[in-house]
Amino acid sequence: MDIILNQYYLQIVIFVLVNAILGVSIYMTLSTGQLSLGNAGFMSIGAYTCAILTVKAGFPVYLAVPIGGAAASFISLIIGYPALRLTGIYLAIATLGFGEVVRVIILNLKITNGALGISGIPTLGTKISKMLSSFGLSRFGGLTAQQTSNLLVLVVLIFILAFLVFFCTRLNRSRVGRAFASIKADESAAEAMGINTTYYKLLAFALGAFIAGMAGGLSAHLTFFIGPKDFAYHRTVEILSFAVLGGSDLIIGPIVGALLLTMLPELLRSASEYRLMIYGALMVIMMAFRPQGLISEETVRFWKRKLGRRIKQ
Amino acid sequence: MTLVLDQVSKSFGGLAALSDVSFKVNDGEIIGIIGPNGAGKTTLFNLITGIFPPTEGKISYHGKNLLGLRPYKVTALGLARTFQNIRLFGHMSPLDNVMVGAHCRTKAGVWRGLWRTPAQRKEEKSTRERAQALLQLVGIENDTDSPAGSLPYGQQRRLEIARALATEPELILLDEPAAGMNESETEDLRLLIKKIQMMGKTVVLIEHDMNLVMNVCDRLVVINFGQKIAEGTPAEIQKNPLVIEAYLGREEA
Ligand SMILES: Nc1ncnc2c1ncn2[C@@H]1O[C@H](COP(=O)(O)OP(=O)(O)OP(=O)(O)O)[C@@H](O)[C@H]1O
Ligand SMILES: [Mg+2]
Repeated sequence: MDIILNQYYLQIVIFVLVNAILGVSIYMTLSTGQLSLGNAGFMSIGAYTCAILTVKAGFPVYLAVPIGGAAASFISLIIGYPALRLTGIYLAIATLGFGEVVRVIILNLKITNGALGISGIPTLGTKISKMLSSFGLSRFGGLTAQQTSNLLVLVVLIFILAFLVFFCTRLNRSRVGRAFASIKADESAAEAMGINTTYYKLLAFALGAFIAGMAGGLSAHLTFFIGPKDFAYHRTVEILSFAVLGGSDLIIGPIVGALLLTMLPELLRSASEYRLMIYGALMVIMMAFRPQGLISEETVRFWKRKLGRRIKQ
Repeated sequence: MTLVLDQVSKSFGGLAALSDVSFKVNDGEIIGIIGPNGAGKTTLFNLITGIFPPTEGKISYHGKNLLGLRPYKVTALGLARTFQNIRLFGHMSPLDNVMVGAHCRTKAGVWRGLWRTPAQRKEEKSTRERAQALLQLVGIENDTDSPAGSLPYGQQRRLEIARALATEPELILLDEPAAGMNESETEDLRLLIKKIQMMGKTVVLIEHDMNLVMNVCDRLVVINFGQKIAEGTPAEIQKNPLVIEAYLGREEA
């Protein structure tokens, strides 16, 4: 029991979950075929908004996190309207630039505490344990208070991720999801078929920003400290690589990508000198041999057929 | 008068793709637009559907000015089109392709889609049923497993027509629907176009297959080098010396 609930393992699983949520955010914008690299920027807007609200204004976390998401989403609408006229690599560059602008602004604002960042953020774990002890429940069975609260954080994150997956699957099989898919397939044909492509591109962009902002808010309350460096350009690349590795056709793709890429550095700890090299090589191999990522629609079709046949036999 | 083009010109850089083209399309007729390759026929469709604006001239539909409207708004007004170079949503199923067409006549947004409200489910059901009926109309089996892009060529052309019909147009613009079809497929297509007319819709047809054009169209507009050189019934056009010259001239070259 103690091995499973080891503090270190729990921490990794929590990072996996936050990264998976970020994976969903990039999946969302990619579902209209827009390559946006602004997710780290939106994440930082969410993280800072949320941290400032809880630390300085005493907001409860469960309110601050969605407000952080809404703030990121609001900014995304403002920059999205002009930016989404750009396509492909131009949009990627513009949104990457946006991320840097956000970072520099945060570095220079007073309320964000500049380069020092914000510390002393109440962690989700302590919040939850406090709430529990106020109900008179400080521990379950043989678990320590620390383990209990970590476990509960895990449950909360799993619940959020599960809801996002539910949201995306429902959306995909609806009128809005079909509009997204048609824009991804052929934007001007979609427009000619009566779809307001600007509106739907903006919608996907804003939903992606909302999710990234929420992930930012959550991560701020997991690490107790946030600084501008946490959301620099390397973060964007990391988020993008979830989609590159896992694939972005299906929502499971970037989630699996996030899982693998968060676990990998931990598994490679013994070969830590070569960690970054292996990581980089993996990306190059993916681009060269499987640009659609590990999981594509084809993959699913293939396995369905295969399993279907086995059942019939 | 349904669709009116008044002295429409379009140039791309220095190239005049269309100059001073005027014609009218009446309710319920099938009008053919013919002319040699590069005459400017597709450009005409692109102007009508708002893909790009004309350099000069006016285009109106039921008295409403179409200029400056984005393509999706033109579609919402009741004009739908197909593309000469097939532009289906290749990896989506044929049924989904047609259901996308119904987008502008349906309402459910994110919220209703997420919670599958009764109104959303009802709308979704009727959209699906209508899409299935349209697939049947154009003669495509609803085999949902294979993506639209993997259908045989002739079926892809007909799927484009079904998708356009799903937008519930009053007027449908078909850009070379018979291209790449064999004789029997073209005959099916002729019947389909007639059926579409019988459904009370107006058809504008760009086509190189003269047999089809002469058989199905009520009236023809002939374009050569961006200019309208003739207009009239198929019988009149066949006798028109300018038209004969335009086509024979092309063959000599
Ligand atoms: N977007 C564009 N940009 C630049 N030139 C264009 C564009 N669209 C069409 N043209 C040019 O305009 C002229 C007319 O083209 P258009 O496609 O309308 O001809 P068409 O009558 O449809 O020919 P076809 O029978 O081969 O389809 C051609 O010279 C073409 O190269
Ligand atoms: Mg053409």
